[in-house]
Amino acid sequence: MRRPHVLSILLALLLAAAPAFAQETTITLGRFFGACDTPGVSIADAVGEPCIIQAIVDAFDAADNGVRVETLPTDWGNYYDQIKASYAAGNAPSVHVMHSSAIPEFASLGALADLSEHLAAAGIDTSDWEATARDAVTYDGRVYGVPMDAHANLWHVNLELMAAAGLVDDDGAPILPSSPEEMLEHAAMVRDATGASYLAADFAEFPIGVRLVMALAWQQGAELFGDGVSNVNSPEAVRAVETIVALFDGGFADPRLNYADSQQAFLDGESAILVNGTWVVDFYGAQAANTNVALTDYYAADFPTLFDTPATWASNHLWAIPVTTQRDPEKFDAALELLAWINDQNLAWSRTGHLSVRTSVLESDAYAALPHRDEYAGTIEIARDVQPVVRYDAVQDVLNRELQAIWLTGKPIAQALADADAQVQDLLD
Amino acid sequence: MATKGRVLTETAAATSRVARRRFPWRDAAAGYLFVGPFLLAYVAFLVTPFVRGIWISLHDWNLLAVSINPDAKRFVGLDNYTRMLWGDGIVWSLDHQLVPRLAGVVIVALLAWWWRSGAINRSTALAGIGATLLLFGLLLGLHPGEEGRWGDRRFWPIVGNTLTFVALTVPSVTLLGLALALGLNRDDRASAALRTAFFLSQVLSVTVVTLIWQLTFSPRQGLIGHAFRTLGLEPVSWVTSIDLAMPAIVIATVWWSLGFAMILFLAGLQEIPAELYEAARLDGAGAWATIRSITLPALSRTMSLVIVLQLILHFQVFGQSHLITRGGPNDATQVLVRYIYQTGFRNSELGYASALAIVLFVFMLVFAMLQIRASREEG
Amino acid sequence: MVGNRAARRIVVIVLMLAAALWVVPIVWMVSMALQPNDLLARTTSNVAWGLIPWPFTLDNLGFVLSSGLTPRWFLNSAIVALGMTSLVLVLSSMAGYAFARIPFPGRRLLYPLVLAGLVIPEQAIFIPLYTMFAEWGWHNGYFALIAPRLAVPIGVFLMTQFFRGIPDYIEEAATLDGAGRWTVFTRIMLPLSIPALSTLAILTFLYAWNDYLWPLVSASRPEMFTITLGLASLQTNFAQSEGLGRVMASGVLASLPVVLLFLLFQRQVVRGIAMGSGK
Repeated sequence: MRRPHVLSILLALLLAAAPAFAQETTITLGRFFGACDTPGVSIADAVGEPCIIQAIVDAFDAADNGVRVETLPTDWGNYYDQIKASYAAGNAPSVHVMHSSAIPEFASLGALADLSEHLAAAGIDTSDWEATARDAVTYDGRVYGVPMDAHANLWHVNLELMAAAGLVDDDGAPILPSSPEEMLEHAAMVRDATGASYLAADFAEFPIGVRLVMALAWQQGAELFGDGVSNVNSPEAVRAVETIVALFDGGFADPRLNYADSQQAFLDGESAILVNGTWVVDFYGAQAANTNVALTDYYAADFPTLFDTPATWASNHLWAIPVTTQRDPEKFDAALELLAWINDQNLAWSRTGHLSVRTSVLESDAYAALPHRDEYAGTIEIARDVQPVVRYDAVQDVLNRELQAIWLTGKPIAQALADADAQVQDLLD
Repeated sequence: MATKGRVLTETAAATSRVARRRFPWRDAAAGYLFVGPFLLAYVAFLVTPFVRGIWISLHDWNLLAVSINPDAKRFVGLDNYTRMLWGDGIVWSLDHQLVPRLAGVVIVALLAWWWRSGAINRSTALAGIGATLLLFGLLLGLHPGEEGRWGDRRFWPIVGNTLTFVALTVPSVTLLGLALALGLNRDDRASAALRTAFFLSQVLSVTVVTLIWQLTFSPRQGLIGHAFRTLGLEPVSWVTSIDLAMPAIVIATVWWSLGFAMILFLAGLQEIPAELYEAARLDGAGAWATIRSITLPALSRTMSLVIVLQLILHFQVFGQSHLITRGGPNDATQVLVRYIYQTGFRNSELGYASALAIVLFVFMLVFAMLQIRASREEG
Repeated sequence: MVGNRAARRIVVIVLMLAAALWVVPIVWMVSMALQPNDLLARTTSNVAWGLIPWPFTLDNLGFVLSSGLTPRWFLNSAIVALGMTSLVLVLSSMAGYAFARIPFPGRRLLYPLVLAGLVIPEQAIFIPLYTMFAEWGWHNGYFALIAPRLAVPIGVFLMTQFFRGIPDYIEEAATLDGAGRWTVFTRIMLPLSIPALSTLAILTFLYAWNDYLWPLVSASRPEMFTITLGLASLQTNFAQSEGLGRVMASGVLASLPVVLLFLLFQRQVVRGIAMGSGK
């Protein structure tokens, strides 16, 4: 009778002392990616961007580390508006996700905490980061974020349609064009054999078309903008746009598809190719396995080289800490701890289809064994980010508007690019 | 009863007049105590922001930069306004946009003719002619010269989009609302039920309306697409087509706000004395003749009210453009309020956004003056 | 007369068809909220263009009510709408009473100045309001969502008009009995003005429930979203498609209070619109 008694006293003491141990620090986390519709799954079981990131954060939250994370899931459409609004209102989240292209704007204004001196102490080995990712989070020689992935445009392929057109090689890989002319030939072959359109992409809503044009300009060795100079109205840019417009003119693609519709067209087997990012590889793989979906044989291919130099548009998702968080050392440390945890979970995040940014993960067998990963292994080599521009959002908006003017209203290419050039130059000045 | 009441009133009035003269400070104190709370809110949340908005519009003011360092703003005078309304190398020429400007000549001629025939009075005619000459004669002749360009090439097209939206929405809502009111101005159950059906969409919030219509317009998943396929037609891409995007948000808006016009017309119809209809019936007038000779003239004040209120409401359109079409494609549905929001919060240019907001206010002021004029003239 | 009756019948039939067309989008939303998500991912036109919810499920409504932030958004909307409505009623009726019935010095100047505020729309001042509230640290709080509407003079205008229409003798009889201003106002004037107050209340409630632009800039944290704003955030996630059925269920739930309010108080709503537009 005595022992249990003593034990219970001990237990009571422990419980009484527990609040002292449980001095929890609460940090807030801002992100996009959408809400996870199956909350509570483990990291290993999570599928898709929203659930994988939620599972990673939940695991950190549940761990016995004295930190509570309050996720502020913010929608895509107004993400940057609301992040900026929260900075301006003085209640920015303790830590938040952003794109590498937004680093110049935020960092140049001093909005982000300089993490250069803190990462090693937090257990984040920056030397393991892949070089382009390290550059992407660096501004003026200082590190302002922890990269989570590189995401690039791929050509998502419906192998069934391609096979019907005779565009699959003996290894089961799709035969993709190596020049604009060949692309039109392939497109005609697909149409003649299947009646499907050759290529679908969001040309009418989000800036996927802009990223396509940028990739095709890079493939010709030209930058659209950079170093304070707009080069939007270059012969290379004209060529890039003409390449795409030829698809529309031939009836091989529909410029009026938006993101949801282009994706649906691909899943419904109405288009052989879909140009979209790495973030949907696991989703399309799962859809192809679903017997109710027309797409059955799915392949994730590297963006083909239509000109001289291989290149595809890419960007990085990264985690940054606002300077305001730094004023509270406890929160700052907790935020760094969370970033270190996310950095450790790079392989899990790569399951979405994104490219890892850590050399150790990139070289691991587990990474190579991820579904479809071998099919677009070349993408990491050809991935390119835009030149750092403070007002990148606005620049991208200009390009998206003028390109839409070309393929949706028939505005002459030369005039649209000249107009875009003038506006982009204004934004760079 | 009536006499007693009046006597009482007169005595009371006399007494209180005395009381008031004796204690004017009491009225003053009571008055200001009663008005005070509202005045406080009015000054704090309406007058101050209005003045401050003008002040911000005179600055180069970056949302993020100023929030981090309050001194990061820079006084630039009227630069934001010149950037919006002017540009480099703007010239005036007689033949620029000649065809639309010839319409101005027609309008002037019409106004002059109405004035002569007595349809409008002298001041209206002169104001109309003056405004037309200013707009068509002077302003439409301005354009960038050889090397010139507008400071903000998006501004005028966006104003144009906003006006197009208004020009498509207001007449549709007005005419359909009038037709419904005429058809449903009865006391039976069926009419009451139908009135409810038509008004129901009006109480939904803009985000529910856009949720419904965003999907309804989708060529693959949308209701319209399903209907088209059943009829053997190819579904159209509403929101991504340059010609159909604006009609799409107009359709959603008409669906949403038709009930409002219908209610106002119904209220107007109730005020028409039944004797008028009786007289018309005795004269043997048919339904159409009755509507034309009695109902429509009696509704003219309601009509101008409906139109002006719609002008004010729809000129501030935001949610439909923001959520259904995202202003696209190629700015085809970008409207003024969304441009203000994006300039301020997406591009962080609070100074320029404030200048745009001031211009929005000027537009609204013109509409409000139209409203006052309309209610004075007829009421 | 026979011809007339036939014509009327045609008109009624046309109107009924039009009304059916009018409510179809609403029916469609409700129907999708009642269909399983994985079905909607494949097709939105399972039975009769999707207008008949088959297979039928309440899972979406249950999910939305039990998880995520929708219940919180609902609560926020209720707090904001009720708070705004009661404050607007108090401020407007007091100011309206003073402008209509207290001959205080300066009111002839003040009243037009207040009415002038009618021409300043919310959209023209939301940016400076935003910066002011940011400096005061008000954002992401309920009062920030309520405050801007308190300054809109439409309520004062309505109440002033109404109080002016009340005959003098009613108030002055009470004054003779020695009642003070406050007593007269609360005991006599307010009970008399219930029609006007209910009209103003309903208009304000509908406005608060449906407002979008101001909550969009003021509430940057999802736990402070109103249901209208939260619904918009679900919509812009469409590309990620987190389940059409659930989004539609949120839309249905968000609309339920205003639709019920409207069906219960249809008469007041209708009169309110007529009055609020200066008729």
